[in-house]
Amino acid sequence: MSSAATPPVGRPPSGRLWHKPAAIKNPWLRWGLIAAVVAYAYWAYTFMPINWDRVAAGLPRAARIINTAFPPDFARWQLLYSGVLESIQMALVATLLGVALSVVVAVMAARNIAPVVIYWFGRAIIVLARSLHPVIVAIIFVKAVGFGPLAGILTLTVYSVGFVGKLLAEAIEEIDRGQLEAIVSTGAGFAKTVLYGVFPQVLPRLVGLSIYQTDSNLRASAIVGIAGAGGIGNTLSSAFRRFDYDFAFAILLVIIGLILVSEAVSGRIRSRLT
Amino acid sequence: MLKITKLTKIYGPGRPALYEFDLAIDEPGLTAIIGPSGAGKSTLLRCINRLVEPTSGSIELDGVEITKLKGAALRDVRRRIGMIFQSFNLIDRLTVMENVLSGRLGYVSFWQALTRRFPQEDIDRAYYLLERVGLAHYVNKRADALSGGERQRVGVARALMQDPKIILADEPTASLDPKTSIQIMGFLKELSEEFSIPVLVNLHNVELARRYSRRVVGLQGGRKVFDGNPGALTEDVLDAIYGTADRDPEGVLTLESSTAAPSGVAG
Amino acid sequence: MKTDMLANTGTMTKTHTLATYHWERYTFAQRIGRFLAFLAAALVVSWALVRVDIYWPWAWDAPAQILDQFQRMYPPDWSVLPRVLESLLETVNIAIIATALSVVMAVPVAFVSARNTTPHPVLWWLGRLILVATRSVNTIVWALLFVAIFGPGVVAGICAIAFRSIGFLGKLIAEGIEECDPRPVEAMTATGASRAKVILYAIVPQILPTFYAVTVLRWDINIRESTVLGLVGAGGIGMILSSAVDFLAWQQAAVILISILGVVVLGELLSAWLRRRVL
Repeated sequence: MSSAATPPVGRPPSGRLWHKPAAIKNPWLRWGLIAAVVAYAYWAYTFMPINWDRVAAGLPRAARIINTAFPPDFARWQLLYSGVLESIQMALVATLLGVALSVVVAVMAARNIAPVVIYWFGRAIIVLARSLHPVIVAIIFVKAVGFGPLAGILTLTVYSVGFVGKLLAEAIEEIDRGQLEAIVSTGAGFAKTVLYGVFPQVLPRLVGLSIYQTDSNLRASAIVGIAGAGGIGNTLSSAFRRFDYDFAFAILLVIIGLILVSEAVSGRIRSRLT
Repeated sequence: MLKITKLTKIYGPGRPALYEFDLAIDEPGLTAIIGPSGAGKSTLLRCINRLVEPTSGSIELDGVEITKLKGAALRDVRRRIGMIFQSFNLIDRLTVMENVLSGRLGYVSFWQALTRRFPQEDIDRAYYLLERVGLAHYVNKRADALSGGERQRVGVARALMQDPKIILADEPTASLDPKTSIQIMGFLKELSEEFSIPVLVNLHNVELARRYSRRVVGLQGGRKVFDGNPGALTEDVLDAIYGTADRDPEGVLTLESSTAAPSGVAG
Repeated sequence: MKTDMLANTGTMTKTHTLATYHWERYTFAQRIGRFLAFLAAALVVSWALVRVDIYWPWAWDAPAQILDQFQRMYPPDWSVLPRVLESLLETVNIAIIATALSVVMAVPVAFVSARNTTPHPVLWWLGRLILVATRSVNTIVWALLFVAIFGPGVVAGICAIAFRSIGFLGKLIAEGIEECDPRPVEAMTATGASRAKVILYAIVPQILPTFYAVTVLRWDINIRESTVLGLVGAGGIGMILSSAVDFLAWQQAAVILISILGVVVLGELLSAWLRRRVL
């Protein structure tokens, strides 16, 4: 690669080329990937039912909507207030229920303490709860138990189990084995072992997760209403349906404010805990 | 070539980091700046290429006053001042060649920089410099795969890529072991002579300063307390630079070793 | 901690020893504080429980209703699978296109919103505002808005997901930029490179891994999000789910739910594998 003869001082040799080495060394793979991306882009463009005339018509409509949305209309503040209150109630009750269930599910889904069959069952519950978007869960619960906050609470409970259950199970899997063995060696049964050997180690994590989940539930509670499951989301979606964009904008501002406040409070509490 | 007059830098209330410092450099070769930590060595170098804004005073490079320059004019001066850093400051995720070529960023267009299409003479120069520092077989290796000494050799090549009128080296050996330090200082001295470029080098190691520099400047508390050839660095002078009571620990170590074994010190 | 073995073997020691070795987990003030915090939490939750607008007899009936619902889903009607798969493909396409669009919009906002690369403090504030605003509005709310603008269809869905993702991607990339090692920046500045070239050489290589990881992560989240767009008419598999539910075609809904589950889990596995490869 390097020539043996040193050229005269200040007079470097000429003509040696350099190109930046390609990120993917194998040229077949590189060009294959590029071709695949191009082919995908073309296919997606033809496959997707996009009506460009309607897109073009949308821009003036966007201007009109923004015009009607300003200024936001807080005249029906009572409706807004009761919606927000219901969202908060749903979030709190769901956190309580969800965290209680999560503890059970997490013990089931912790590889180091649960029997194999139970472990897979626990994992399955968590994967199921995590994979389905809260709005989809809400659709099903609304059909099962009717419109209103009950469906919302059930939805958010499932949502909480998916998140808190997963992270709590991971926390249990990381506990100190020695402490567990110490309790087992005193002759304690499974329940007592979990109570004395596991819970004290994961309790701080559980408290932190619960506070975080309260915040998440509040966010989610603002949207499950779109499926009819109560809370401020209900109010928002009916405002949209009735083209009350100024009221919708007011609701949106309140939701954003609520989320920012809740995020700040939750962050403050969690930083004080640790 | 480089002329510094009454250069002062005040960071905040209290003792100035650099006070009314004068220095003129006209010939190629190494000029070592020694002094305890916090004496203002690093501030001095960074004032020269304006990485630090001087409070007052003047710096002239080839007759151009550079303390007042802005924007494109400042960048034009900077590209003629090479800099070598204590912690190498390479771009870890880029190849050795890209790191060396980055010394030309002040000369090439944004498009050339983005597509890595540097002029052929830049690539020739880069190959030549990499051969000079013994790294030509590493052109397409990522910089973070290199050892400390190799990284600093890339740093030296990058500074020389700029076709600089002067090179500033801020403690180039402080992160290296003694053997590699000697190698890097050797490269600096040779290349400085080969390209006839003056090099201003901050050193915390008095022995290295004695062995490689043509001229030594002693800094203490932001003021120049010594300026002369390395042979004039007597025990009394070193006491004046480093202080008798609170010598820099590293300074003490090198002093003791150099006084204990004077045969190892080359003039 | 004021603890001692003697406290546990109290019967064998004299009374004054017992009094001396008094064990407490918390100090008095700590106990009051913990009690008050617990009380406040309990009060808030019980307020919510009491005041929430639920007809309790229904609530007790809920488990039976839900079970009944799942029974109605069995056996799943697999004949709808071809249509479901086509819809699923549309859903994944929405997620991919929207993620790509959102990256294009998020990168400039990220550079403007990072303290070390922002061209101007006013722009920094503007960038931060964009990030907070798009992140605080949920995808489905964005979808409501875009359906009102473009009418029902995938365009509204793509826009909704793309807009929501700007805040997420922009925030994480901006944080990556702010965490960059400043030393290469110093070196590139010293070569006399312009600001744009300094960013190109000193910052871009450093944030590339973060950039890829965050994009893949968001794509994974976007698959999940795009499954619900159809509920408000913004395209994807949610459309057929919502109509199946409206027509009480539970056996078809079951197939749709299973497909959603499958694609979300696959997406998550692929995303985890890709992220492991870049980091």
